[in-house]
Amino acid sequence: MYIITRNIFRFAVVVLFQVLVMDNVMINGYMIPYVYLLFILLMPFETPRWLQLLAGFGLGLTIDLFSHTLGMHTAATVLAAFARSYMLDLLAPRDGYDPDSFPRIHYFGFYWFLKYTLVIVFIHHLALFYLEVFQLKEFLSTLLRVILSTLLSASTIVLSQYFVFRK
Amino acid sequence: MRTLLRFIQKYSDLLLFLLLEIIAVILIVQSSHYQRSKLINFNRQLTGYVYSKVDGAREYLSLKEVNQQLANENLELRNKLDLISNELDTALVFSELRGEQRYFFVPSRVVKNSVYDQYNYMTLNKGKKDGVFRDMGVISDRGLVGIVLESSANFATVIPIINRNFRLSAKIKSNNYAGILQWEGPSPRSAVLSEIPFHVSFAEGDTILTSGFSSIFPEGIKVGVIESFSLERGNFYDIKVSLFTEFQSLYHVNVIRNYRQEEQLNLENLYP
Repeated sequence: MYIITRNIFRFAVVVLFQVLVMDNVMINGYMIPYVYLLFILLMPFETPRWLQLLAGFGLGLTIDLFSHTLGMHTAATVLAAFARSYMLDLLAPRDGYDPDSFPRIHYFGFYWFLKYTLVIVFIHHLALFYLEVFQLKEFLSTLLRVILSTLLSASTIVLSQYFVFRK
Repeated sequence: MRTLLRFIQKYSDLLLFLLLEIIAVILIVQSSHYQRSKLINFNRQLTGYVYSKVDGAREYLSLKEVNQQLANENLELRNKLDLISNELDTALVFSELRGEQRYFFVPSRVVKNSVYDQYNYMTLNKGKKDGVFRDMGVISDRGLVGIVLESSANFATVIPIINRNFRLSAKIKSNNYAGILQWEGPSPRSAVLSEIPFHVSFAEGDTILTSGFSSIFPEGIKVGVIESFSLERGNFYDIKVSLFTEFQSLYHVNVIRNYRQEEQLNLENLYP
């Protein structure tokens, strides 16, 4: 029960922070750090897959509503949520995840969390940015944006682990 | 059938994922312009609330700055006002367009005023030299003040509403019925509108304006609002009017000069 309320609270915080603060941070005119993925990243290990997908859908839709980009964040976030469970399987320790642990730096260390974050964020941004342009004409410049934005978002997310969501 | 169920069970997460993605892509691709604008409108209501709160906070944070700006602007205006106020006091605003213009306003100051007598009078600092003559209307920025009784070279005496000899035609704004505005004392804040017939409907709070039937005032100068009314005198209402002009604190007034007053009076006097 505690975990559920905590996650709902985190959902609200992440959305508001993204919409009110981060969407106003524009670096070079087109790079926005998308930190709302934190919610997807920090969901407990034992969350069922269907719930992860639905959570991703809800989160993306909420962000879409605020940024007037109907469906784009939704598609990208559902994809990220889908990729997350496979990524966690890939990164799992030999004897599986400790039931008391959470996917955080605090439990698994900096490199584990960085890898985890980078991959999920990259997948999300890849989907988001290509859906945004919706054509392959500017393939390379879009790819550059994806990579730069991934670095920006991922570093923001990792940094947040040291300041905000420490435990 | 069983294999199909097993298939669904086995790949339920994948199917859910595909379903959600399809919904998302449909949202992106299929949403027509109409739906999009509808949805954006809904968004505005939803998110507009959030954003307005944030904007309110931002506004609040910049209050100090805005205050400072306003104070500076105020200071500047005050300085300018001081520069021209001496000239304004004595200036006669003369219009070249006398032929076209019907009403002409002479700005003036109240130099003597009585409020608590039964026959109150006031004196203005403009007279014949400035084009102020008897039977001209006097108004303030709030509304009707009175009528010029007599003028000398540099001064004019005014009979204000709050004088028992004052009479003027005034009307109710909502239905244009005109009556006689007069004052029966003792309060300088209210007057009486009489001769409104009993079948006229109006309500407390309705505005009273000058009717424009006399040649003294243009139509539609504000007088006051209806405070209360009674039907004691048979067929006509007695309406108590709360006056807009505050006679106790009256300072700047304008005298109205009607260029066609003479013409109108001459015409009206042809057939007495």
